[in-house]
Amino acid sequence: MLSRFLIITFILLLQSSCNFAQTDWVKWNAQEVSYTIDDQVKPNKTAVNQTFPLTVVSFFRNLYGLFISDLDGDNCPFYPSCSNFFVQSVGEAGLIKGSLMFSDRFLRDLNLLKGKNQYPLYKIGKFYDPPYNYTLSQEKIIYQIPGKVID
Amino acid sequence: MKGFLINNKFLFCIYFLFLLPIVLYSQNYIDQQNLFSPESRLKFGSYLYSEEDYLRASVEFREYLKYVDNDTVRFKFATCFYKIGRFQEAADNFKGLFTSRNLQQESKLAYYKSVFFQKNYSLFRISFNNEFHIPWDYKDEIKRLYYISFFFDNSVLPDTNNFFSSFPDSNKSVIKQFYFRKKFPEYKNPTTAALLSGLIPGLGKIYVGEITDGFTSLLVTGVLTFLAIDNFKHNHNFRGWLFAGLGAYFYGGNIYGSAAAAQIFNAGVKFNFDSDVRLYFEKRNYLLPEIKL
Amino acid sequence: MKKKFLIILFYLVAVSNYAQPDNLSIQLDYATNLYNNNQFFDAITEYKRLIFFDLSKKSHFKAYFQIGKCYKAGAKLDDAIKYFALAEMNSNTDDERLKSKIEIVRCNILRKTTTRAHQLLDGLESSAFSKEIRDSIYYWRGWTYMFEDKWQSASDSFAKINPYHELKILCDRVEKDKVSVTFATVISYILPGAGQIYTGNYLSGLLSLGWNIVSAYLTIKSFNADRVFDGFAILTLLWQRFYRGNIQNAEQFALEKNIGIANNTLIYLQNQFKGIKP
Repeated sequence: MLSRFLIITFILLLQSSCNFAQTDWVKWNAQEVSYTIDDQVKPNKTAVNQTFPLTVVSFFRNLYGLFISDLDGDNCPFYPSCSNFFVQSVGEAGLIKGSLMFSDRFLRDLNLLKGKNQYPLYKIGKFYDPPYNYTLSQEKIIYQIPGKVID
Repeated sequence: MKGFLINNKFLFCIYFLFLLPIVLYSQNYIDQQNLFSPESRLKFGSYLYSEEDYLRASVEFREYLKYVDNDTVRFKFATCFYKIGRFQEAADNFKGLFTSRNLQQESKLAYYKSVFFQKNYSLFRISFNNEFHIPWDYKDEIKRLYYISFFFDNSVLPDTNNFFSSFPDSNKSVIKQFYFRKKFPEYKNPTTAALLSGLIPGLGKIYVGEITDGFTSLLVTGVLTFLAIDNFKHNHNFRGWLFAGLGAYFYGGNIYGSAAAAQIFNAGVKFNFDSDVRLYFEKRNYLLPEIKL
Repeated sequence: MKKKFLIILFYLVAVSNYAQPDNLSIQLDYATNLYNNNQFFDAITEYKRLIFFDLSKKSHFKAYFQIGKCYKAGAKLDDAIKYFALAEMNSNTDDERLKSKIEIVRCNILRKTTTRAHQLLDGLESSAFSKEIRDSIYYWRGWTYMFEDKWQSASDSFAKINPYHELKILCDRVEKDKVSVTFATVISYILPGAGQIYTGNYLSGLLSLGWNIVSAYLTIKSFNADRVFDGFAILTLLWQRFYRGNIQNAEQFALEKNIGIANNTLIYLQNQFKGIKP
């Protein structure tokens, strides 16, 4: 009796959710579900258009990573980390502009009072601060609400 | 007759026991025989429509309309596309109903809604201004939508008189707020921010509202400048130049960052305005009536 | 003569009506054909058509069940669970009810809502069916544990079916290959870099050890030379940083290695395992 009641309640709840089903508004194909466990932290390094300054900066960033950054723990509160931000900035905007972007990022990193009322949050708990917002091109800015969690 | 019945009562028993149910049962089967007949497709399509399975419903309605011309079904067919966000197809199909006897006004209203939600505001306004198949029963609603469209793109806002008078009194105060927020957004000037930071490091960031960032910039450039001067005073030239160089670097970064912060601030102002407007009108169905068939 | 005529008439009417094809079974075959050809979206349409026109509800269970399978094939597990539940509601026999419940468990495993899968399996275990499907319950519980990354518990579950079960052996191997996160962290506290070497990151471990030795030397040298400020600066900015980094890395590498081992096994299970999968 109880199990039947539970089933009916469950079905009624399902029926109510049926009215808001939007899965089939686009035709879909077969897809496999991955069995693997998600690795929360995505690779921090993203490549942009390869130029000579970018190649040089990437090389030194990799050296810095190998000998220092990968050994002293996870200290940067931002995503991408400051060194990766520098590489991506140079890739986005060239060496001079990229250096200025990095300088600004470093100053903001030194701010001990920064918080989630200033930056959106990346899913691993860091402040989401991508370089494309700092290229001084209004069209490139993708505004995210401070405190919102980004995937 | 009586003799016939008495003589053949065995056969009549067979008839009533076996034949009649078979005939009745097969009659039922004949009704359901063709699941793909136009009538069946309409029934099934209407069921899918009521279940909000609009893509499948549209397929059923399309097949039905190949055989039967029915304005209500054609309207529902177009509405399926509207509901799933395929506004161009919805608009094209609603256009086909402009000459309908019963649904002319509704289809014209739906057409304008489709163009509006396609975010083709310039086409919407051109159509409205040229009175392209305006649904006269819903002219006020379309006119409101016309004015609402100005909130969603960068076109010059029309003057206030006609704008505000198109909306009911209950919405007027909010519409006025949106109007003046759109016309006079509270943007920060990136050049002003950069100049202020050039004058006093961090001041541009404070101007934009990033107070703690501003004070950090001021502190860092200040400390580095002090260290540079101090080292030069004590003839530690290498260290002096090092700190001076770092100071200059962060000074430049602070100016750049202030301009960038102003741009991000402005992007935030626009984003918040767009969200507020969209939320307000979505809650009120864009002040449009629900079309019931 | 009249009798013969009526008998022939009766025969013709009966045969003509029974000779009509059963359109609902044709529809069922058509939908199943679409399913077998991997046209899942269209198959769902045809199963829904069948459900709509089948007033006697004879094929409702089969249709709902198949719709659930279609959604599962499309990785739309929420919808799949919904339709398997509807299949259960429309089931006529215990077998059908059980089949639906097991499918719901399997969808929950795939969806990684493993708590729900456990709850459903608990329900099955305490139900009247439990004796007949005991092995099935252990099997799916084992899979649930594997998806939860609890390989020892999974091994124990498979062992209840058969002590030499293929999946039990697999789980034991995974458990053996995994490294201990606690051990890696603890030995890193004692000897910087040791935890990283234990997890197989030799270069990182050696560099970490090197940095700790250098910063310790510089710190002690500064304090010995009464350069207290320098000593504290090197202690906080260098030694503490690399020491903390060494511990973080040991833990992170251990976790990553374990995730890697688990994922390799899960990839094998997904692509190469021949047994029944969720």
